[in-house]
Amino acid sequence: MTASTALERLESQLNGNWAHLREARRRADEMQQRLLSEFAEFERDDSSIVVSGSLARGEFTAGSDIDWTLLIDGAADPWHAGLARRIAQKVKLIAAKDTGAEGTFGVMVFSHDLVHQIGGQDDTNQNTTRRLLLLLESRPAGRDDAYARVIRSILSRYLLEDRGFLRGSPFRVPRFLQNDFARYWRTIAVDFAYKLRDRSGKGWAIRSAKLRMSRKMIYVSSLLACYRCHLDHDAQTWKKLVDSDDGKSRIVEYFENIFRQTPLEITAGVLLQFPHLAGSAHKILGAYDEFLGLLADGRTREHLETLPEDDADRDPTYQKARQLSHRFRDGLLEFFFDKESGLDELTRNYGVF
Amino acid sequence: MRPIGFSTGALAHADFRRGLAMTRAAGCPAVELSALRQPELFPMLDALDSLDLTGFQYISIHAPSQMTPEFEQAACERLLAERWRNWPIVIHPDAITAFALWRRFGSLLCVENMDKRKAIGRTARELNLIFQQLPEASLCFDIGHVRQVDPTMTESYLILRDHGARLRQVHISEVSTNNRHNRLSMLSIMAMPAAAHRIPADVPLIIESPVTQAEMADEIGRARRALPLEPVPLHEQGDARIDSCAVCHPGA
Repeated sequence: MTASTALERLESQLNGNWAHLREARRRADEMQQRLLSEFAEFERDDSSIVVSGSLARGEFTAGSDIDWTLLIDGAADPWHAGLARRIAQKVKLIAAKDTGAEGTFGVMVFSHDLVHQIGGQDDTNQNTTRRLLLLLESRPAGRDDAYARVIRSILSRYLLEDRGFLRGSPFRVPRFLQNDFARYWRTIAVDFAYKLRDRSGKGWAIRSAKLRMSRKMIYVSSLLACYRCHLDHDAQTWKKLVDSDDGKSRIVEYFENIFRQTPLEITAGVLLQFPHLAGSAHKILGAYDEFLGLLADGRTREHLETLPEDDADRDPTYQKARQLSHRFRDGLLEFFFDKESGLDELTRNYGVF
Repeated sequence: MRPIGFSTGALAHADFRRGLAMTRAAGCPAVELSALRQPELFPMLDALDSLDLTGFQYISIHAPSQMTPEFEQAACERLLAERWRNWPIVIHPDAITAFALWRRFGSLLCVENMDKRKAIGRTARELNLIFQQLPEASLCFDIGHVRQVDPTMTESYLILRDHGARLRQVHISEVSTNNRHNRLSMLSIMAMPAAAHRIPADVPLIIESPVTQAEMADEIGRARRALPLEPVPLHEQGDARIDSCAVCHPGA
C-alpha cells in the first residue's frame, strides 16, 4: 500500500494496523461517488448539497446515516424547497436510516445566517452547529461553488476580524475561531444531557460512546487546526505573512486547506510532526480504530442503540466502548499536555483559559 | 494613472459605433470593441478601417461568447487577418471548442476568467487547465466575475498569484447573483482593493458597467477607487474603509 495521506503515513510509520479506519474511509469514498452520481441532476451554482457526519469524516460504516443539507447561497427561489424534497427522497432510498431528529440536517440552510450570525442572540444552537460542522466535518456532494464561497466567507469572519490573531498575540492561534469551537464542544456535551431527558434515555449508550470518541475527535481536530498555525509559522514568518499585501487572502487560504482535511487527517498530520509522541498516537488512533470496528459490526451497533442506561454498568459491549474511550482520552491528555512539542503551553493558554 | 476605458457592448447593446463614440466623448484612452454575439463580429471587423480610433492607446476586441463550430473556424480566420493590428482578442474559455485554432494567436489571445454560471475558467485551478491548452495566451482578469465567484477575494489572490504574469487587461464592473453586469457599488469598492497591488499601473481597465454618457465619469471614479494605485494598508481595510469612503465620497 502506498501511504499518501497523513493517516496512512502515520499508520505506516508506527507499524499500526488500523484496518477499520481504512475500511470506513473506503466505504465513505464509495458512498460519496454514488451520491455524486445520484445528485448530478441537482447541481446549481447557487447551492451545494453538503454531507456531514461520518460520511464527511471518512468514517462511514454499514449502519451510518447520511446527514445532508442543501446549502443555498444566492437569490431566493421558491423551487429550492422542491429541490430539497427531491434530495430527501433520493437519500431515503440510499441511506441505512433516517436523518437525525433535531432538524439540523435534511433541510435547506441559508448562507447569510451562517456568515453573519456569529455570536449574539440570533446565533442559535442549530446555526452554530451547522456553521462549525461546515468547517469541521463536511464535504460537497457535487458542484461546490456555493460551498466554497460560504466556507471562505465564514473563515474570513473568524480570522480577519480577530485583531489579536493578526496583530497582537505571541501565539499564532485564531482565538475567535477557537473560542467558538470550544463553545460548540461544550454545547454538544450539554445537549447530551438534554437528549437523555428529552428522549427518556433512548439511544443513550450509542450517544455516550460517540460523545466520548467521534464528537471528541471533532473537538480535538478543531483545536489542532487552530494550533497548526502556531506550529507552522515562527514569529518572523507570521509577521511577514500578516504584513504582506496578500496577507488576508493567504491566511484564509491556509485555513481553508486545513479544513479540507477530515478530523482524523488533521490529527494524524500534527502527530506526524512529533515522533516522540508515537505512544500517544498509538493510543489515540488505535482506540479510535477499535471504536469504528464496534460501530461497523451491525449487531454491536444495534445493541448499543437499544441498551438502557440502567444496564450499561453490567454490559460487556458498553464497557468495552467505555474502556476504548479511556485509552483514547489518556492518549489525548499525553498529546495535548506534552511539553517537548509545545502543545502543553498552547493547551494551557487556549484549551483551558 | 491606469489607462481606463469602456467595453462598447456595455455602453450600447450590439452597437459598437455608438459605444465607441461614447468612449471617445468621455476622453478615455482605452476601449474594447465588443462583438459578444456571433452576428456582430464580421460587420464590426469589416468596419475597423472606417473607424476613427486615433487617440486610443489601447484597443482590444471581445470575441463572441458563444460560437458554433463552423463559425468558430471562420471567426478565427477572420480575426487572424487582423492580427497585424496587435490588438488583444478577449475570449471566454467556454466559447472555445477547437483550442488549436486559437493557439495561433499566441499571447494576443486573452482568456477571461468566468462568472459562476460557467462550468470552467472560474478559478485559478480551472484556468490552469485552460492555459495548459493555450500556453502562450494572456489573461483578461475580470474582477467582477471573480468577486461573484468568491466575495472574500481569496480566489482573486489565487488567480493573480498563479496567472498574474499573463495579465493583459482587466474587466471591471459589479456582477450580480443573476450574472448581470451592474455599476460598481460600495460593496465592490470596499472589496476590490485587495487585488489592486497585483495589477501593474500600466494594465488597462475596461469598464463593463452599463452606464449612460452622463454616468461614465462617475463610473471611472468608482473604478479608480476600486483599484487604487496606492496600496490600502491592512489596518485601513474592512470596516475602517467603509467609514472613510462614506465621508470622502458621499452618495457613491
